[in-house]
Amino acid sequence: MPLRRIFAITSILFLAVLAVSPLKNALRPYRSFQRAFARLGASRAKSLQAAKVYQQQPVAIHQIWLPDFENRVDRCTTCHLGVQDASMAGAPEPFRLHPATYHTPKDSNRFGCTACHGGQGLATLENDAHGGVSDVESPMVPLRYIESGCGRCHTSEQVAGAATLSLGRATLERNGCYACHTVKGHEGFRSEAPPIETVALKTGGEALRRWLKDPKTVDPNATMPRFQLSATEIDELSHYVFSLAPARALADRVQAAATEPAGDVAKGKALFAESRCISCHTLEGKGNGSAPELSKVASRASAGWLLAFIRDPHAFNARTRMPRFNFSADEARHVVAYMESEFKDFDAPKEILDPLRVNQTLAEKGKLLFRQKGCFACHAPGAEVDRFGPALDGLGDKRAASLDFGKRADLARTLPAWLAAKVQQPGSFQDGLKMPTFALSPKETQAVVTALLSLGTRPVPQPYRSVPAVRAGLLPGGVVGALMDKYRCLSCHQIGDRGGDISTAPLTAEGSKVKRDWLVNYLVLSFTIRPILTDRMPVFRMTKDEATQLAQAFETFYLDPRIPEDPYAGQPATSRDPVEGKRLYDTLGCRACHILGAGGGYYGPPLTEAGTRLKPGWTYAWLKGPQKWRADVRCPNYGLTDADALRLTSYLDTLVKSSTASKAKRGGTR
Amino acid sequence: MKSRLQILGPILILVVAGACSRHKAAAPAEAAVPTTPTAEAPVAEAPLSYELRLGKGVYQHHCQTCHGETGAGDGFNAFNVDPHPRDLSDPAFQKAKTDADLKDATQRGGLGVGLSAMMPPYGKTLSPDQVDQVVGYLRTLRRTEG
Repeated sequence: MPLRRIFAITSILFLAVLAVSPLKNALRPYRSFQRAFARLGASRAKSLQAAKVYQQQPVAIHQIWLPDFENRVDRCTTCHLGVQDASMAGAPEPFRLHPATYHTPKDSNRFGCTACHGGQGLATLENDAHGGVSDVESPMVPLRYIESGCGRCHTSEQVAGAATLSLGRATLERNGCYACHTVKGHEGFRSEAPPIETVALKTGGEALRRWLKDPKTVDPNATMPRFQLSATEIDELSHYVFSLAPARALADRVQAAATEPAGDVAKGKALFAESRCISCHTLEGKGNGSAPELSKVASRASAGWLLAFIRDPHAFNARTRMPRFNFSADEARHVVAYMESEFKDFDAPKEILDPLRVNQTLAEKGKLLFRQKGCFACHAPGAEVDRFGPALDGLGDKRAASLDFGKRADLARTLPAWLAAKVQQPGSFQDGLKMPTFALSPKETQAVVTALLSLGTRPVPQPYRSVPAVRAGLLPGGVVGALMDKYRCLSCHQIGDRGGDISTAPLTAEGSKVKRDWLVNYLVLSFTIRPILTDRMPVFRMTKDEATQLAQAFETFYLDPRIPEDPYAGQPATSRDPVEGKRLYDTLGCRACHILGAGGGYYGPPLTEAGTRLKPGWTYAWLKGPQKWRADVRCPNYGLTDADALRLTSYLDTLVKSSTASKAKRGGTR
Repeated sequence: MKSRLQILGPILILVVAGACSRHKAAAPAEAAVPTTPTAEAPVAEAPLSYELRLGKGVYQHHCQTCHGETGAGDGFNAFNVDPHPRDLSDPAFQKAKTDADLKDATQRGGLGVGLSAMMPPYGKTLSPDQVDQVVGYLRTLRRTEG
């Protein structure tokens, strides 16, 4: 009897245990989501047929399987049922249609979800999938950092359509992060900070003290971070800087410049404006901001140094982005006289630029500090750069549990929160950390965290890697290379994937684009190309010889094979018809944006002398699809036929400067 | 017999207890589920939706110079264009034109729809999606009378 009872009880228990598993499955939350989605879909459906399709969907696990992308299995669509369903625009989560991006909807099945969003693709419970569980391997990326997903595949500095990521990468570079931290692809980075032994030539003891205390209060464009130095440390470092012996030749130059007579302030002011210094510098905040603010520069750099530096910046700092302006001896004096009269901090003490009387004991201590604080990473990088900061590769895949939150108990225990706090207030984690404070704006912080999160442990599989399609910008050697270095073309212009973004005119295809004679004249005396812009290239006072050499080199090196030299070759003669071209110009409405003769819009570049400036091959290639040459250009693609584009080209090519003038020029240059 | 019970009993208890506890762990997740969607989310007025923000971007890039920030046809280039650009914020205009009309004019340009050639065609510059987005944004520019 007891045996039977025991048997009965165990059987029932056994059955109950067996029932647990199907019961758990039946109660899985995704089932109720799928039923709710069926109801929602049916209620939104436009036809009975469509409604039926929603209702007849079986309840099942949905997944995107990507065997060639690290064998990912993303079951996110089990609950997020409407991500690819156009009728679910604006539906409540988790059913909302995924917003259109560069890759959605067309590539949804190629990338899945976790490639960009992170999270556990296999999980079907919300908390597990989203990574709300503590120390999950890859938690979901918060939406404000979502562009880090773009950066996993797109490794170039600038990523079209990912503004935050691009800003983040540019911010990392600009602030010199790569000087201390190793990051793949940036091993060759060198800071453009001045070599430390030239600093004493430039500035004074008090000015240096103020700078070391917080560079950004002295110059808001400063890229040097704040090092939280104590008053004694500042003192020791200053003594060290002034104890260094600069190169004899440089010291002589500064000394000689200091004894020169002062120039003419009014002439200097005109030269200053003409040279477009604010293309890179700022003056009371106005200007580009990639180079120092100048409004108080005469109170932190001596007149002698300013004069010697303007004459030959590259002698003082080989890595500076500042070009060499061909000022005559007098002109340079005028410019400095103007700077001395206006760009002063009138509240500063008179002795701000007096050199420091070096105390050797303090200087010795300063030397040690220079090493300890890591100043050498930017100010004295030798051939072998000692990157003492932790390598940043793989940072984006770090698990939260492996991070040292130190004193920051207030932070959420997640990687993005840690990174954001780290780049904003690195000193708040622990005392005595080396990393200085960079004073990033909230937008820059978001961008930098995005860029850091994009640094994965291992590269994405080959088919997913996006290598920038631009050609590598090879710089010519020899005389032309030296000229391009002298004028620092790459500080503003891009060639291939190198160079700055100050100019909107990349030089990659310049040789295919503009006529040589025009380029020579432009290099000698640059002017603004668009009527609504005042920005233009600085006037470098290039000699005609130099300009001709550069123009010739551009016509040899910087060509694009897609741009025909002679667009009319192989085309019927009727396509070379300027009269028909003019008719097209009028009917297409080009004058809504372009000035031609007396009338026209202020938006595009004037075309009055289009034939003097542009090569017909370029004009033709441009007309066939402007966006192909510059993705963000406003000029719409009219979808012209080859023949029409050629007719328009031949008309624009007839628009030249009055013949006598152009003849005279041609005679002069060739 | 007795010894068997002694062995089986604890095992059974363990199994049952285990099953119960796992079930309990799953329970809170289930309890949270009934946040099933209510029929229709209220359309948020203040912030633009993602699509409208994209449309705004297209508008600012291509249209604003002539049609102006508010669509009133007063962009800085408007005065160089004769006839002047359309006032897109005009309620009468907005009422008269269907989305398809606006899309057509955007894609084929003024010439395409029998108006001034000063309005360029954007059908080969913007993708159909972008045109839809910008048309969506144009609707938000409608001036409220008052």
